[in-house]
Amino acid sequence: MNNLTKMTRIEIVVSAREAPAIRDLITSAGATGYTAVSGVSGIGHHGQHSGALLFNEYDTLTMLITVLPPDKAGDLIDAVRAMLHSSSGVMFVADTYVSRPEYFR
Amino acid sequence: MSLLLRVAVASAAHDIVPAWPLDSFIAVNPLAGSESLPFEAAQSLGPLTRQRTAYVTDRKRGRILLADLEAAVRLRIPELTGTVTIGDTTLPTARLAALELEHDQSHDTATGPRAPTLSRLDEITSRWVAAYLTPDSLWSMPHRERGLYPAWRTLIRHDSSLARAERHRLLGLPEDPDAGLAWALEQLGVEADDVQRVLARELHQLPGWASHIKWRAEKVGDIDLTSFLAVRFGTRHALQTPPSLDPTPREQSPAAELQRRAELLAGHLVGENVTPADTSAVSRVLAAHPIRDHLFTWQLAYELNYRGRLLSSLSTEHAPAERPEIQVVMCIDPRSEGARRHLETASTIETFGFAGFFGVPIRFVRHSGKGAINSLPALLTPRHTVTEAPHDRATATRRVTAARQRDAVHAALHAGESGTATSFAFAETAGWFYGLTSVLRTFAPGLLARIRERRLADSAIESSVTVADAFTLEERAVLAEASLRMMGMARFGQLVVLVGHGSDSRNNLYQSALDCGACGGNPGAANARAAAVIFNDADVRELLQARGISIPNETVFVAAEHNTVTDAITLLDTHSLPASHRALADDFIRQQIPAADRLVRERARDLPGASPRHSATRLRRRAHDWAEVYPELGLAGNAAMIIGPRELTRGVDLSRRVFLHSYLPELDPDGTGLETILTAPVVVAQWINHQYYFSSINPDLHGAGTKTVHNAIGTIGVITGQGGDLRRGLPWQSVGVGTALLHEPLRLAVIVQAPLDTIGQIISRNQVLRDLFDNEWITITARGRTTDPWMQYTRYGWHTAPLPPAEGAHQ
Repeated sequence: MNNLTKMTRIEIVVSAREAPAIRDLITSAGATGYTAVSGVSGIGHHGQHSGALLFNEYDTLTMLITVLPPDKAGDLIDAVRAMLHSSSGVMFVADTYVSRPEYFR
Repeated sequence: MSLLLRVAVASAAHDIVPAWPLDSFIAVNPLAGSESLPFEAAQSLGPLTRQRTAYVTDRKRGRILLADLEAAVRLRIPELTGTVTIGDTTLPTARLAALELEHDQSHDTATGPRAPTLSRLDEITSRWVAAYLTPDSLWSMPHRERGLYPAWRTLIRHDSSLARAERHRLLGLPEDPDAGLAWALEQLGVEADDVQRVLARELHQLPGWASHIKWRAEKVGDIDLTSFLAVRFGTRHALQTPPSLDPTPREQSPAAELQRRAELLAGHLVGENVTPADTSAVSRVLAAHPIRDHLFTWQLAYELNYRGRLLSSLSTEHAPAERPEIQVVMCIDPRSEGARRHLETASTIETFGFAGFFGVPIRFVRHSGKGAINSLPALLTPRHTVTEAPHDRATATRRVTAARQRDAVHAALHAGESGTATSFAFAETAGWFYGLTSVLRTFAPGLLARIRERRLADSAIESSVTVADAFTLEERAVLAEASLRMMGMARFGQLVVLVGHGSDSRNNLYQSALDCGACGGNPGAANARAAAVIFNDADVRELLQARGISIPNETVFVAAEHNTVTDAITLLDTHSLPASHRALADDFIRQQIPAADRLVRERARDLPGASPRHSATRLRRRAHDWAEVYPELGLAGNAAMIIGPRELTRGVDLSRRVFLHSYLPELDPDGTGLETILTAPVVVAQWINHQYYFSSINPDLHGAGTKTVHNAIGTIGVITGQGGDLRRGLPWQSVGVGTALLHEPLRLAVIVQAPLDTIGQIISRNQVLRDLFDNEWITITARGRTTDPWMQYTRYGWHTAPLPPAEGAHQ
């Protein structure tokens, strides 16, 4: 597809308190980077979540997004799934395409 | 290395709450990891209430009434609403359950784990972690730069405290900490299914170190829990002490126990003529209130008694005083309550409560200081650096150079007195000088303090804080508007004093715990100075005007600092005061001095070793006495937080037990300000409240023990005696004296005057509030207007809050 390379995109929404552990898993899985969006809002299994709070970043939700080669993604997916057994959060996994694959290997 | 082991470590550490180092002490709920569960479900982590004997004593002295017990039973067991007839007496079922609490003495103990006993394994692990983390040690740990596990792996083979055979078992240790942990678990025969439980139990064996390492992994990054556990399990393998799992919880009381309880209570109520029908009727009621719930009902009754008296004391009037000349904004800290109450005896002064960082979250760099401090709530990440610019740069440079030279001399002297080879020679040659200083410190601390203060006053130079470099104009206007709307400041006097607070004491490792919690355990002066600059900024005022907030031109903001040991309030940056306002500022100081004297004497009633008959000078000397373990009582006694106009509480003696946040719903029509208050100041107050609560309930596990045997690990924390776990929480001198508690452990009662619908919506869209209020870690009681009844929030809706019984009702 237009000279693009297939990768796996993993999005994880967890509380900000749990985010450091997820970031640790992402880097330990060999991902070369991630994007963090703090203060995300929405409605989920545990009810409504307001977005960014003026003076509290600790009790909001954070979305972590990482892209990595499919052969590395499996371990991370298993690890995050196990992690979500002991803490609330959601994970979305999708195929994605990148133009500069060397950035993600 | 499998990522799943990392997951197991992270999951095992879920209940471990990060512990900040001593120099920026942040109060935390040590059980915060369980806040998503009902309060009572955290019992597996330690006792959650006092012992029954403590409640019975309070019942006998009238601190808990039968009506409180009955109200507590009704709240906890809503189905106990009817009446029951026992013998010739008909009484409410809730009262029957309450009466049992008084008479059944068979279950006195609050159960759950207490501080674990230290084993040889704990001693060895603690020694290695302390050696690795100790900052500025005289002898730095070799290979420290490689990380804890690699350094330990290299050095452990030379540790003579291990037997040769024990060291020999570690020859196969892998190089990597993850692999090391996996290897040790395998050597110890831990099954894959048990790994997470085994790791969690291990972390709770040394909870102090585990908590600090969890903080440090996120904030510093030179250690993590995987390395800690790799060292721990490696040592465990060396010692051949396989881990064990917790036993299965024992069964609850059987039916026979219920029969015994019913017979006991029925016999007490009816006497010898008790019938099987009486016992059966009692049994049906008591079955709804099992013994495991009794201590929680006692605790709730204890809390309802306090909250009921507090609500009854609040005013139903809502008539603001005339426009004042001077307005004083102080931190919500309960210690400010006393200062505000005494200041308000002057009719020209109006006071407000607001978080002590004044809505200005900063990283602050003093012109003379080394490094920077994060002067903001722990809930925020520092993003704005404010610096201090001296007006006379040449003089400032000279004094900083002189101060650095003094520091170098002190460092050299310290090295001399601490060195193995030099300490005796140092004592021989320079000991006389230190002896003289020690005599002065011991017998004339006031004199030494005056000399020190004079030296500091002589070296002080005027400076300003550089707010404009840290915040854009729009950011400043947003912060100013948010602050004014949150604190409900609808009118402005000529002088507005923003009072931060700090504590002054000597030889006190826990001084940071007495400083401002909203400023990250630092004194609040820097934030007050920055806020004053923002509010005086003409450009900010112009933007505020466009947003509907008009600060008159004649209004001037000035910063100040409240010393919570001496209760003196000192104005800051007075050089920036226009001449037109100097007389008013002098007037404020004149009024503040007698107010501070009255407050110091008032506090002396509760302060161990002090008396209201002592002179104010003698009481204030505690700030300089290096042997004083009670310079002040900090936030001991904190029990409630009131969010509403000052008219609710003005003139009421709240005994410095209440966080006071000013708020006017009229200035916050969409509830944004209230949402910020509930999700930030309330959360910080709750952390503090639970820190005091659990340091009182379980001082061995969640408190730091007595100060008198503490040894400091740099600025990281303290250990008791020579080794063992890093202590968490507050020292005993913050919550008790002798064997008695100074602090009443009560879960925070949040009281709000604002529309109930708004409060309900805010709670429903914030998980942190749902957890805290629905799970009963703290409570919230509210009313929309002064004429409305107080309503208590429950997960099922609002219910009328119980108030104290009328005079003459059953006690």
